[in-house]
Amino acid sequence: MTEPSHPIGPTGPSETSGGDAPSVELPAVELRDIWKRFPGVVANAGATLRVRRGSVHAVLGENGAGKSTLMNVLSGVYRPDEGEVRIDGVAHHFRTPADALAAGVGMVHQEFRLVPSFTVAENVVLGACERIVRRPAVESAVEALAGRFGLAIEPDRPVWQLSMGERQRVEILKALWRDARILILDEPTAVLTPGEADELGAVLRHMADDGRTIVFISHKLHEVTGFCDEATVLRGGKTVAASLSVADTDASELAGLMVGASPVITERPPAREAGEIRLQVRDLRCSDDRGLPALNGLDLAVRSGQIVGVAGVAGNGQRELAQAIAGLRHVESGTVHLVGEDRTDATPRQRFADGLGYIPEDRIGVGLAPRLSVTDNAVLRTYGRHRRGPFLDAASATGHCRDLVDRFGVRTGPLDEPIAGLSGGNLQRLLVGRELVGGPRVVVAAQPTRGLDVQGVKAIQDLLVGERDAGAAVLLISEDLDELSTLADRLLVMHAGRIVAEFDPVTAERHAIGEAMIGHAETADDTGGDQ
Amino acid sequence: MSRPVLVRREQVLRGGQPLAFAVGLAVALVVGVALLVGSGHDPLRVYERMFEASLGDPRAWSVTLNRAVPLGLAGLAVAVAGSMGLWNIGAEGQIMAGAIGAAWVVRIGEGWPSPVLITAMLAAAVLGGGLLALGPAIARARLGVNEILTTLMLNEVAIRLVQWLTHGRWKDPESHNFPLAPMLPDNARLPGLFERAHMGVVLAAVVILLFGVAASRTAWGYELRVAGSSGATARYAGISLPRKILTVLVLSGGVAGFAGGIELSGTSDRITESLSNGFGFAGIIVAALALMRPSGVAAVALLFGAVQIGGQSIQTMGVSSSVSTILQALILFGAIAAGVLTRYRVEMVAGDATEAGR
Amino acid sequence: MNEASLIGLFEATVSFGALLYLAALGEMIAEKAGILNLGVEGMMAMGAVTGFVVALQTGNPWVAFVAAVAAGASVGLLHGFFTVVLGAEQVVSGLSLTILGLGLAAFVGRGSVGQPAGAEMVPVDWGPLSDIPWAGPILFAQSPFVYLAVIAGFVTWFVLWRTRLGLAVRAAGESASTADAAGHSVAGIRLAAVAVGGGLAGASGAYLTLSLTPQWADGIVAGRGWIAVALVIFGAWRPGRVAVGALLFGLTLALKTRLQTFGVDFSPILLSMLPYLLTISVLVVISIRSRNRPSPAPAALGIAYRREER
Repeated sequence: MTEPSHPIGPTGPSETSGGDAPSVELPAVELRDIWKRFPGVVANAGATLRVRRGSVHAVLGENGAGKSTLMNVLSGVYRPDEGEVRIDGVAHHFRTPADALAAGVGMVHQEFRLVPSFTVAENVVLGACERIVRRPAVESAVEALAGRFGLAIEPDRPVWQLSMGERQRVEILKALWRDARILILDEPTAVLTPGEADELGAVLRHMADDGRTIVFISHKLHEVTGFCDEATVLRGGKTVAASLSVADTDASELAGLMVGASPVITERPPAREAGEIRLQVRDLRCSDDRGLPALNGLDLAVRSGQIVGVAGVAGNGQRELAQAIAGLRHVESGTVHLVGEDRTDATPRQRFADGLGYIPEDRIGVGLAPRLSVTDNAVLRTYGRHRRGPFLDAASATGHCRDLVDRFGVRTGPLDEPIAGLSGGNLQRLLVGRELVGGPRVVVAAQPTRGLDVQGVKAIQDLLVGERDAGAAVLLISEDLDELSTLADRLLVMHAGRIVAEFDPVTAERHAIGEAMIGHAETADDTGGDQ
Repeated sequence: MSRPVLVRREQVLRGGQPLAFAVGLAVALVVGVALLVGSGHDPLRVYERMFEASLGDPRAWSVTLNRAVPLGLAGLAVAVAGSMGLWNIGAEGQIMAGAIGAAWVVRIGEGWPSPVLITAMLAAAVLGGGLLALGPAIARARLGVNEILTTLMLNEVAIRLVQWLTHGRWKDPESHNFPLAPMLPDNARLPGLFERAHMGVVLAAVVILLFGVAASRTAWGYELRVAGSSGATARYAGISLPRKILTVLVLSGGVAGFAGGIELSGTSDRITESLSNGFGFAGIIVAALALMRPSGVAAVALLFGAVQIGGQSIQTMGVSSSVSTILQALILFGAIAAGVLTRYRVEMVAGDATEAGR
Repeated sequence: MNEASLIGLFEATVSFGALLYLAALGEMIAEKAGILNLGVEGMMAMGAVTGFVVALQTGNPWVAFVAAVAAGASVGLLHGFFTVVLGAEQVVSGLSLTILGLGLAAFVGRGSVGQPAGAEMVPVDWGPLSDIPWAGPILFAQSPFVYLAVIAGFVTWFVLWRTRLGLAVRAAGESASTADAAGHSVAGIRLAAVAVGGGLAGASGAYLTLSLTPQWADGIVAGRGWIAVALVIFGAWRPGRVAVGALLFGLTLALKTRLQTFGVDFSPILLSMLPYLLTISVLVVISIRSRNRPSPAPAALGIAYRREER
């Protein structure tokens, strides 16, 4: 096709050559060969997407597959390095999200952008209203718009009083108010209860019937099969399956496409004999930061000399599991036993004294203090040992830090300089080193190799295996299925706050793992206990 | 269309802050020249006089050092809280509260031997300042009430408390028309050090040094650093944030109170409602320029003391002392502007959108 | 206590209330946009001295008024420049501007101390309205500044709660990233708000030297800028409540010199502590109630916004 491209402008939609209205055959959205690179990683490598007008289209993929990046390109947050974005057949070069909105593309993010003290109506019209705001008129207009799509809202209620589902409706209304014909929703049901999710599905259906186009990022199979007409699967920054008809596609097939057929084969470290149970979690229940249930009766056990891997799509409670074991999250019911002792309510310090090493997901901001020096960070958990009366023996602390830096190969500047300048890999080495240097008995590692380069990944993985060989019980929570397949002795799959399946990493079929990850496990009863 | 944009530097410019400070000083002096010329004075002679009167000879130094004491202690008070990200805007009032405590001890300690009396006075001063800060400290630690606003309000309360006392029950029976507190007896005055300087200079220096050491070498200082860097990290390390907040704010108030006690016993004749004289607010500027580090506070306080004393001296030349006030503020603004350039650089960016990044 | 002195008390209450209200409105607008402005005292001083000096030069109170507002707004813009553009700490910048403003005002006004006023704003003549008993002298014989304060209150309310601009301003103060995402310029909004705030503080200062006590002296502001800051909190950032608070605090100011004439044996000094103590209580109550509902304070108050940190 050789249509000239027309940049979008504030004057409204641009002219197309050949016809006034977009023809029915032209897809509402077409992304062609999108490449997007960031320092150190290629997020999209020639990804494509074609969405039929008036359909609900799912975009599936593991974490890191490039879904969010692609959607950000479509909604104008990122500019692609190569490739084309076409709306109704017309190519666009969005420079900002406002440009995309002007072309009719609106995005509803996972993190809502709402002003809690404003009313629903005020939030909807912020940035898109008349000079003089007449409250009754605005409120009834917003209410009318909501009614058209079956979105039940009260326009004069302050947003802070609303539930997550209601807030999401406000976000959707924002896009509709700006006349978005194409709506992108990024994992919208992650924050909803099952009932609210069903309501959302109905609303989306309604909107699609009205001629709007919905693009729906999701991991939940029942949503994909329940709400969506077609699905596109991304993996490794590429599109591996485009516009599959959901009705005609098998769940296993979808899952298999998502996780890939064969894992990257690397040498497995030789197996060890497992010893006594060092970490035991029983029927754990707790909530996330928003108060929604995160862990729903989770069981698992890890033995000394064993690496137990926990696979799963992000947002299924992995973060809360790690926090609960480390003592940084309140447990509502259930127990956590470390080395045989009940530590459900123990402080992080006590658990550290028991021999727990914790590598948190949030490297900077929880694990490491960015403005403090390397030495300060190195002794974060052990500074009590360097006390001489009220004083902190600087020489002793620095010596410990140097020892740590040497042993774990952390490349730093002077040790008394802030750590902010260190690369991601070195930061992680510092963090991991600090947790492992004392020879812990239990290690909980949450996404330890996320964002690292090849050498960094290898280094951290070697360290974890080394701990296992030294007799530690290692719980490895990771979004990288290849990593888990390589390192874990047992592979658990976590979904919706519980362990839903267990696999032998050596013999497991990849697509079966994938199915469990999206909630389609064959055996849905309690697993994960000791083996 | 290109427009300038501030872009964060990857590495903060080394030695940046002292440089920024110097730039600030230079900017202030230049603007001061304009002001002086504009009002018909010879700037060089004025500056010369200011320098002579503040740093020209040992006597000048002694007066400047005296002035640097409350500035430095107030600056320390703010810096201690500031190193944890807390703002103590109430030093002005805490100085007064400290002076009240010290003055009260004087009233009940008639005839006590001087060392005993002075020690008791200073102890009461620390207590007074700490007490005034206790309310805001608890409110912040337990309820999350913004300490900026609570400490600010209590300034005015404390100043009025002094007013009320000196007009009422503490009024000197000998002062008829003009309500004044009685003069301090001799045993309540700090002994001299050299020329006009009093022992408070040594005391203040010791306290600043102590805090400097504590901040950099003790476990307590370490915990403060961690707590100031990130609340989540502090929890992770087992540090109780509410307790830290409480102790730091009360300690900060105590240091400011200490300044009030020294000022009363060393410089002032008696307790008056102008005793705090803007030291509390100037202390905030001193701490800001010293980047909330005790090590920098002494140097900055000395400079500001010199500017203030110099400012007083030029009044005899017919120049308003407000020139020195203006200079102090200008030093800060110049330093802020220069300081920004140590952390950011200016780049020209084309177009009207920036990449949002990942 | 007689009728005349009561009327005088209420009249003074309204006058002082208007003085405080003007400055507090300015502070409220800046805070609603997210900027904590501790430079009010300095801006009032600059307005006061500018008004007085220009009145001396020109003999025209209205020109003097405009100059005073401009002076206050300029200082406000300075605060905005340092905090919004350069990202300096709002507390430090504001306090430094108070110091600068007070110093500069003393410098500029040094020749005018004790001088008679060059021009004054005469009280507005409402004709027969000012003959109404009680209401007449209290409400209808006041300086134009008082009516300015009332008008400013209404305009502020209308703009902030009934216009697109006001919605944007409030959004900038509650959630800067949301306002940014909605297409508003947070920097522009905050700069404008703090300039307006400074202008109103300048107007309040001009009220002092052009009407209330038409003379200049170093220290004429006498801490009323700090009362204005307290007033915003006391009034929970709403123009109507701030007005009520202004009258209340104005009453304490008016009572200070009148307690004796009313035969009340209560120290005027202790009375003058009242506004601050009341404000602290309000702060504590707000925090306790904020456990279950958002605080009335603008959520982004005092926090610098840089887009990259979104």
